[in-house]
Order: sequence, then structure tokens, then C-alpha cells
Amino acid sequence: MLSLITRALCLLAAGTLLGLAVNGVRADGVRFARFAPPSVCTMTPDSGEAPGPAPVEALAPPDAAGLCGDPSTLIADVRPAADFAQGHVTGAIHLPCTASGEAASAAVDLVAGRQTLIVYGDGTDDARRVADELRQRIRRRDLRIVVVSGGFGAWSQAGLACSSGPCLHCAAPAAVSASVTRGPGSAP
Amino acid sequence: MRRSAVLALLLRLVLGALLIVAGLLKLRDPTAFATEIANYQLLPRGAAVLAAVLPSIEVVVGASLLALPRLWRRGAAAAALALFVVFTGAVASAYFRRINIDCGCFGTGGGPIGALTLVRNLALIAAAVAVLRLDRSPARRPAVSG
Repeated sequence: MLSLITRALCLLAAGTLLGLAVNGVRADGVRFARFAPPSVCTMTPDSGEAPGPAPVEALAPPDAAGLCGDPSTLIADVRPAADFAQGHVTGAIHLPCTASGEAASAAVDLVAGRQTLIVYGDGTDDARRVADELRQRIRRRDLRIVVVSGGFGAWSQAGLACSSGPCLHCAAPAAVSASVTRGPGSAP
Repeated sequence: MRRSAVLALLLRLVLGALLIVAGLLKLRDPTAFATEIANYQLLPRGAAVLAAVLPSIEVVVGASLLALPRLWRRGAAAAALALFVVFTGAVASAYFRRINIDCGCFGTGGGPIGALTLVRNLALIAAAVAVLRLDRSPARRPAVSG
């Protein structure tokens, strides 16, 4: 007859196996090898001396475009869906700032394994809001977050590459993930 | 139904539902939950594995508390007690080290750790102990002879 402790261990083992199996088949499951624990703790101000991750940078469009050829770079467009459909930086995902909380959660997963995240909007400020929120959520020191100065308008005026088309994944962050798994290979 | 049996039933329902809800909320974003675990600075390298298995363990234990026969329910109560003790240890560790982090008790956005978090976890431990003590087979009455 099984003892109380044996039954408890059986249930814990069943939960463990179920968790590993579910995590293995989930597209958004946590990846053991790639997961980077936050390198900076969120200590209270009087005790924290550890340096934080690099702050969000602002780069001129040509400089930002120079980062796009790297497959470890992810580009995010924070403008409304209609503007995204009319034209966006080639390879960009749509990450509207109107849904920044939920979408930013999805973006946390999307940037796993990436080294650079380029965020742009109509101007600099709207992109910076989203970028700052992402910086708060993603404390990885090896992730560089960049805002395009002047936004999409400045990008277009600089004659850099753009694409257009409907935003198929604006409503669901999960769909954003599906889109982005193709990677930002079509860099300008 | 004896009063102790009613109390055991109520506690089982509360603990079971709580564990299932907490597990399901954590399952929504396992990577974010892994970050919450890593923020405790106890097992940063094991955070990803813990984030993968803890939510399912909570769901399995919670469902067992609600649905399984008494012998297995008691096993689930013991497992829940072990979970709550570990969780409380982690929360107490963060609280007394003055690490300002989210609890992660219900996935992301569970609120910062405070004294209330500790009290709540201690109450959960007490509830699990109570289920273990109260959810027993009714004592058999001695046969009446003569």
C-alpha cells in the first residue's frame, strides 16, 4: 500500500513530466538553453549597486538600417495598423503601442536569442515609450534596444527599404509570433 | 456530515481551485514566469526548468485535491503542503533580503512581495495541514455485541 509521501511524490512527478511535455510541444515554451536569467536584480534603491542593462539608444535611420542585416536583429513597428499596412520597414513586425502591455509581453518571447531590437514609430517619442517598456521587461544586458530617430517618416525620407501590406496579426500577439518566426531576413 | 468533514471539503475546494488558477495563469507566459523565478536570485540557472514544471505541478496537485479518492487526496494535500513550504521559503528569503520583486505567485503581475504575501502563504500552509488532518477516513464504530 502506497504511503502518503509516496502518493505525494507520484503526483509531483506526474506534474513534472506533464510540465516538461507541455513545454516541449508549446511554440512559446521556455527554452532551457536559450533562457537568459536577468543579469540585473531589481533591488531596492538603497541596496542596489548593480549596473542596469544599457538604456534605449536613439539612432538616425541610416545607422539603424546598418543593423538590419544581422539575423539577430528584430524590427518592431509601433504605429497603428493602418499605417503599418500602408508601408513599413521591410521585415518589421507590428507592435502597436496602443496595446503595448499585451503585445510587449509577446515581444519578450520574440526577442529571445536576439541581440538587437529596433523600434520605430511615427516619430521618436511613440517608439521610445514602447522601447522603454520593453527595456523594463527585458533586463538582458546583451540585448541592445534602439529607437529610430524621426520615426518612419525619417526612414522613408532617407530612401531606405520599405514594404507594405495589411497587418494580418494586429489583434493577436500569438499571431505576431507566428509571423516573426520567419525571421527578419529581408533586411533593407 | 461531520463539521470537520465539511471544513476539510471547503479547504480542499479552496486550495484545489487556487492551485489550478495559479498554475493556469503561470502557463500563459512561461518565459516571463522564468524571469520572475530568476528574480528571486535563488536558482537563476534552474529558473527555466522550474517555470516549465511548476505550473503543471500546481494544476495536477490542485485537480487531485478536487477529484481524486481520499487516499490520493491526502497525497495531494501533502504535495500541496510541500509546494507551499517551498514557495513560502522563497518569498521569505526575498522579503528578508529586501529584494523588491514581483511575487510571481499567479504568473506575471502578481504584485510585489510584502508581509501580506508571507501571511497569505503561511495561511495556505495551515490550510494544507488542516486538510491532511481532517480529511481522514471516518473512525469505525466498535461493533455492538450482545
